[in-house]
Amino acid sequence: MIIDFLAIPGLILIAGGLILPALPERLRGWLSLIFPAGALAVIFALPEGYTVHAVLAGMDLQPMAMNKLSRFFGISFAIAAVIGLVYAIHVRDLIKQSATLVYAGSTIGVTFAGDFFSLFAFWEIMAVSSTVLVWTNRTSQADKAGMRYLIYHIFGGGLLFAGILLHYAETGSLLVVSFSQVYTPASVLILLGVAVNAAVVPLHAWLPDAYPNATVTGAVFMSAFTTKAAVYLLLRVFPGWEILVWFGCAMAVYGVLYAIICKDIREILSYHIISQVGFMVVGAGIGTELAINGAAAHAFNNILYKGLMFMATGAVLYKTGTTKVAYLGGLAARMPLVMVLYMVGGLSISGFPLFNGFISKSILVGATGYAHYHVAAYILLLASVGTFLSVGLKLPFMTWFDKEHSLMVLKKLPVNMYAGMALAAFLCVFYGVVPPALYAYLPYPVDYNPFTVYDITKTMQINLMTFAAFWVFCHKFHGELIIALDLDWFYRKPSWFFRKVFVTYVSLAFGMVEKLAYSAVGGLRRASRNPMKWLNPITGYRHKAWSYSPSYGVVLGLILVLYVIMELFVIS
Amino acid sequence: MNKTRWILFWALLLAMVVLELVGSGGGGWTLIPAFYSLFGFVLCVGLIYLAKFIGKNFIDRDLNYYDN
Repeated sequence: MIIDFLAIPGLILIAGGLILPALPERLRGWLSLIFPAGALAVIFALPEGYTVHAVLAGMDLQPMAMNKLSRFFGISFAIAAVIGLVYAIHVRDLIKQSATLVYAGSTIGVTFAGDFFSLFAFWEIMAVSSTVLVWTNRTSQADKAGMRYLIYHIFGGGLLFAGILLHYAETGSLLVVSFSQVYTPASVLILLGVAVNAAVVPLHAWLPDAYPNATVTGAVFMSAFTTKAAVYLLLRVFPGWEILVWFGCAMAVYGVLYAIICKDIREILSYHIISQVGFMVVGAGIGTELAINGAAAHAFNNILYKGLMFMATGAVLYKTGTTKVAYLGGLAARMPLVMVLYMVGGLSISGFPLFNGFISKSILVGATGYAHYHVAAYILLLASVGTFLSVGLKLPFMTWFDKEHSLMVLKKLPVNMYAGMALAAFLCVFYGVVPPALYAYLPYPVDYNPFTVYDITKTMQINLMTFAAFWVFCHKFHGELIIALDLDWFYRKPSWFFRKVFVTYVSLAFGMVEKLAYSAVGGLRRASRNPMKWLNPITGYRHKAWSYSPSYGVVLGLILVLYVIMELFVIS
Repeated sequence: MNKTRWILFWALLLAMVVLELVGSGGGGWTLIPAFYSLFGFVLCVGLIYLAKFIGKNFIDRDLNYYDN
């Protein structure tokens, strides 16, 4: 039984989160690394096709099912957890550390779940634990953003659950399988539920709302886990659904446009996540082996370089206390190491050769071309231009190079944060230089060589000229203190109205009814204090209860006894 | 960016354009020499202007926009 339990890697991490309070406070950061390391070992050790069976309330469950795709994503998430926990060793807040482990564990649980019921259980644990990562930031903005995030994800979970129930009713099986491209209510609901977590436009507004409000260390985990777990599900359950190609293209451009517009460095990165996930969704939509390989590889690389960039901007937040571009600028000389590490991520995400972004982006764009989605291929290239512009040029320029906008005292950065960033940067360069190390684990066999002259020259030309264009127009980028309106306008603007109707008026109504009840009771009490007043209203005699002759009492007593007898014996 | 760096930049770009003619791949529009350089430059400028337009007119709001 214990062996079965330990064979579910997600549970190892969740157990770690629960055991953490029992560990000594100073060692918690270090000891928490044991759990993702253990999960990684288990994932490597278990053979292909390994499953764990369970029966719950008459349902046949498979909490753990190993296949090539889930192994790849499981390894990615475990590595992300290790890197993030190294980055977070300095954290002294138990709730943050526990929640992080539970979050990582539930994500890996979702990845390996072989049936929809276990998947849904882990899905909801993911939603709750990631909300905690936002709430522990303990600002009033984070409180509200976390609440919106939670409600949105519970809504998404509800859609997923409805779909799962319908699917179970239709097919009688809970196993996670690929759905053929048929739009039944069950498949559409499951697709919508997964789309919420994948931040598919228009269901994306929670991401740039919550991620910039998360903690310095929490944001790193959030960027790596929720969206990529949803991408895994799309690859597993909905490969080849053509509608995903177009929604993916929309996401790619939408995210990049907002990334160019936004003026908060973590918000820029959050919108950019939407763009990068758009690439993966296009890959899922195409559904060929090359496309799925590309999407999976892109997810892994994304976890590395996006995590690295969130770590670097988290370091900026830690050092300066702000992420608003209006206050930053000119910091290159004062935090050179963070800047260099960020640029490794920036160059990776822009697809420069010898960094890991290049090896997966070229597969994806190539797969799009081979499948004859030429329009989509150009849209993805447009998104690549915007990618380099927004997070490879604009963000570092406004944070580190532009003139200094405020005088700042910089805090010293804990060494483990540098270590986490260095680890991610090393992997970015390693996989960029040795792509077969990544390709070996992809779900389908790969005979792809990304280092073709054509691809290298194509990417370098695009990026070099993007840089030139940025250089010409860099004075157009100003830091302003703004809120970027997005589709969350629709539920945030009318929120005062809903609060009035559903909270204020309802509690007013309850208050009124309560007052009415109390006054009714009070009146009844006053009236029944002296019943003789009502029984003998004719005389002006001042009724006092003790002034009546005993005969009154006898008569009243007789009436009461007759009533009791009647109740007990006659009315049955 | 001083002169040497700009010279390096243009040298690298030229090398890439020349190499593209050596490599094989693509068709149609992409056969124009330096297609991807123009593509990158034009689209980047277009994105900057588009983003500024959309931002100024539709999206940017004060920090207290949602406070009620």
